[in-house]
Amino acid sequence: MARPDPLTKLIEQLQRLPGIGAKSAQRLAFHVLKTPREEVERLADAMREVKDRVTYCSVCSNITDTDPCYYCTHPGRDARVICVVEEPENVAAIEKTRDFHGLYHVLMGALSPLHGVGPDDLKIKGLLTRVGNGGVEEVILATNPNVEGEATAIYLAKLLKPLGVRVTRIAMGVPVGSDLEYADEFTMHKAMEGRREV
Amino acid sequence: MPVYTSDALILRTYKLGEADRIVVFLTRDRGKKRGVAKGARRARSRFIGTLEPLTRAGVAYYERELRDLVRINYVEPQSSPLAAIGRVHSDAAALGHSAYFAELIDEWAPEAHADERLYRLGASVIDALAGGAPVPRLARYFEFWLLRLQGVYPQLSSCPGCGGAFDGGAVMPPRDSHYLCRRCVPAGGGTTLSIDALRFLRSAAASAPEALESVSLDAAAGRELETAHRRLIQVHLEKELKSARVLREINHGLHGSYGSHGSA
Ligand SMILES: [Zn+2]
Ligand SMILES: [Zn+2]
Repeated sequence: MARPDPLTKLIEQLQRLPGIGAKSAQRLAFHVLKTPREEVERLADAMREVKDRVTYCSVCSNITDTDPCYYCTHPGRDARVICVVEEPENVAAIEKTRDFHGLYHVLMGALSPLHGVGPDDLKIKGLLTRVGNGGVEEVILATNPNVEGEATAIYLAKLLKPLGVRVTRIAMGVPVGSDLEYADEFTMHKAMEGRREV
Repeated sequence: MPVYTSDALILRTYKLGEADRIVVFLTRDRGKKRGVAKGARRARSRFIGTLEPLTRAGVAYYERELRDLVRINYVEPQSSPLAAIGRVHSDAAALGHSAYFAELIDEWAPEAHADERLYRLGASVIDALAGGAPVPRLARYFEFWLLRLQGVYPQLSSCPGCGGAFDGGAVMPPRDSHYLCRRCVPAGGGTTLSIDALRFLRSAAASAPEALESVSLDAAAGRELETAHRRLIQVHLEKELKSARVLREINHGLHGSYGSHGSA
């Protein structure tokens, strides 16, 4: 078999990205081919840099280029409140509301029996350690308002409450069954504001 | 493009591309299908809240020639595990069980042809779960009936070893998948079923799932059945279900001492 030419190789690599099918990969590859060299190099550098410099915060598991992250080290953030979310994208959604000033904890997913994701696959131990170390008064459970997110929230509440902390769940104003990644600022603001003790 | 509308059970979904989902569902009349729900992950999608595993729904879909994936037009939920959210007694294990039931149906549902009895069993268990039926009893009931419908549940009428009655309980020997009476079992090992566990199975054989409230099953007998059924399912599927393992981890996390156990 002939060695794949560079263009074929690029198309193959692009096709591995989420949401990119054969046609889009081909379109993107030809776009790269027509783009000035410096511009392509900026893209390649950005990709390399994201792998070199961006890591996960050792405290809250959020994505960051310094460890601990911006939120965990900022003196203006209220260390008495921790908001628990499923994915790093959810942090951005809550930050956009501008009314939360506490810290975060990113679980890196939710309990998902059908996909084989159990408690040991999530960043739960780290959360329990943070709360167990004292100084935390409230933990807000902002996992998705669907069955997996709810099961995760109930599970965490059971483990957190014995530690003597107030545990709250965001309001289900967001349509039940949805994904917070796609919630807008107003919805997110309402969800946080309407949170209730569990 | 022929359009079908069918009563169906949603079994599982996968993310597809930027905003879509692949949905695996069991129809009442045409077996198990895989379809694409376009835009299902967008905030204002008409599919929001309709695709949770173990939702019972009316589904409309197009079959496309020469394609395995059907195109899902709409899903109209009739009974959903989301109903359990916010209920006072809802717990993580109860919500997790909807995934376990869905995975069991998925494993056993035939691709090409209808299995109306499996559909009806699934539908009745969904309704019982949504109605707040006791979860451990419902799980043992479901496993029992599922294995029976496949014709692989061990004989309960009399001991296959001696033809005698199971009057002192039963034992599933270590490497077998049938029950023997205590007189026939070589000493040691195996999974024991007490008289209470056998009584539960006999009631289950004659009850609808919504009547489980009045069929008793104490914790010890429940554990016996859980073990026996896990062994039977493993023998017939030749693997352990992902959801069964996760449910065990959830239970362990809640009732064992979290953090002190190794990650096996
Ligand atoms: Zn951090
Ligand atoms: Zn016998």
